[in-house]
Amino acid sequence: MAAFDYDYAIVGNSAAAINACDTLREFDKEGSMAIFCEDRYRCYSRPLISYLVAGKIDNKGMYYRPQNYYRSIKADFLKGTKVESIDPGKNRLTTAKGDKIKWRKLLLATGFKSFIPPIEGLEEVDHLSFISWDDAKRMMRLTGKTLNALVVGAGLIGMKAAEALVARGAAVTVVEMMDRVLPQALDDEASALVAERCQLAGIDLNTGEGVTGLESRGGHKGRAVLDGGSEIDFDLLVMAVGVRPRAELAEEAGLSCDRGIEVDEFQLTSEKDIYAAGDAVRAMDIVTGEPTVNALWPVAALQGKYAGMNMAGAETSYPGNSSMNSVEFFGLPVLSAGIVNPPDDGYEVITYRGEREDYRKAVLKGDIIVGMLMAGRIERAGILTSLIQERANVRRVKNFLLEEGFGHINFPRVVRQGRIMDEMAGLRVAGISGDRGGRS
Amino acid sequence: MIRIIPKEEYCIGCRLCEIHCIVQHSKSKDIIKAFKREPRPVKRVEVEEEGSVSFALQCRHCDEAPCITACLSGAMHRDPESGAVVNDPERCVGCWTCILVCPYGAVRRDEVDKKAVGKCDLCPDLEIPACVENCPNEALVMVED
Repeated sequence: MAAFDYDYAIVGNSAAAINACDTLREFDKEGSMAIFCEDRYRCYSRPLISYLVAGKIDNKGMYYRPQNYYRSIKADFLKGTKVESIDPGKNRLTTAKGDKIKWRKLLLATGFKSFIPPIEGLEEVDHLSFISWDDAKRMMRLTGKTLNALVVGAGLIGMKAAEALVARGAAVTVVEMMDRVLPQALDDEASALVAERCQLAGIDLNTGEGVTGLESRGGHKGRAVLDGGSEIDFDLLVMAVGVRPRAELAEEAGLSCDRGIEVDEFQLTSEKDIYAAGDAVRAMDIVTGEPTVNALWPVAALQGKYAGMNMAGAETSYPGNSSMNSVEFFGLPVLSAGIVNPPDDGYEVITYRGEREDYRKAVLKGDIIVGMLMAGRIERAGILTSLIQERANVRRVKNFLLEEGFGHINFPRVVRQGRIMDEMAGLRVAGISGDRGGRS
Repeated sequence: MIRIIPKEEYCIGCRLCEIHCIVQHSKSKDIIKAFKREPRPVKRVEVEEEGSVSFALQCRHCDEAPCITACLSGAMHRDPESGAVVNDPERCVGCWTCILVCPYGAVRRDEVDKKAVGKCDLCPDLEIPACVENCPNEALVMVED
């Protein structure tokens, strides 16, 4: 009998898990692999649930990989198999059914969960989250008729839920404690642009207000009391006040966790042979220099990739990530990366306001670009994102950064040619001045 | 695979590459129809110009392509045969994440058929990509590696 049931055991089945599997198979053609998936769905893209509910895509469009995916990478897809506990010392996990499975390397890609705030009466109201395919199905089943929907929280998830509800014909009210919509991803100006579009679409936005109490009126119906004293009756309640890492498996096994599973530069946890990636993980943020949970699909995918390489023995350090968001509400696209709201006066902010909704912003710390935002016209935004991730010194091009024609033409010839000829693009190319700044 | 290399010392900034790219990705592949009668596809090559310096730039088809990793739907992928980085418009939802992460600014919104992105596909139907073929001064060259 082999010493292990599987060379690689993957807990999770989303962006981090799948990209890890792809990479594992690329680096290790033979090693056996199992994917432990709590629900019964083949890997699908969670960010697409709002597109599904709005009728922009069908069920088929939800899948992140083709139907024969697991077979194509020679992995056992163990759907409906919840992992109950892990035993680091024995390289063993136990499923909810009691099966004990030995692995050589383990990946925890357990993702995030909704944060349920302690609001009085919330437990009595049959409310929705908006983070899974099941949530989307519930929302579709419950809507499509005239009803009043209340969304609590105007972050990305809440606003996407609101947009989807509008598409389903609901009258939508949003309540947000902060003073603007999308307070994390956007700045005041871009947030106001999005708010304007949402209001035109009929959404009733209430920012700077919190829900202090809820009262059930049977089933999904209820009444919310805001801290200003006003009341909102609803037929459907969506709670979207935030997400938290699902780190319980790691915590219970004694892995080092601090608001998320802690990993080193190789995505390795505090236990040997156990790796972690994705929304459950606190990893280095290149821009802030702090370990941060950036619960974003592209970040999870990239971490998964590096976890896969390291699990397969190709030691490669994760280049780090930054916060980044691409959002579109009612036809207005807004892209941002890094720091869009400087925490203090130690930053330089450059803005450009063109016609209508054309708004751009760059944030600099000294000569290093640390953040950007583009609304309306988003073409070529990735050039700025790449400069942020390279921690590029942009002193010589500062005045051109937000101009329409800004591009490689503004870089010194040697840098430009280096970038263009370097097929391994992206994170590894040299910055504009050739120096990469430093992690502080 | 095929790669297209810009030679800025030869580029005259005529933008014929952009025009022929648009024609090649149009419905009729006819220059007049493409510009006058049909929905105009987005250009998949961009001439950058400043003073007397210019060059044309399109997708580098990166070995480690940030757009593929970041893609939310799985639409952006590597063609197993050609090695090119290509987008499947049927699966693309138009979330613009690839535009956010492409270090070359080589992906654009293309809303001709549906909400999706357009980028260089290395002209799979042609022996030589349209931009290379129609460059009058060999400022775009094709190499195979």
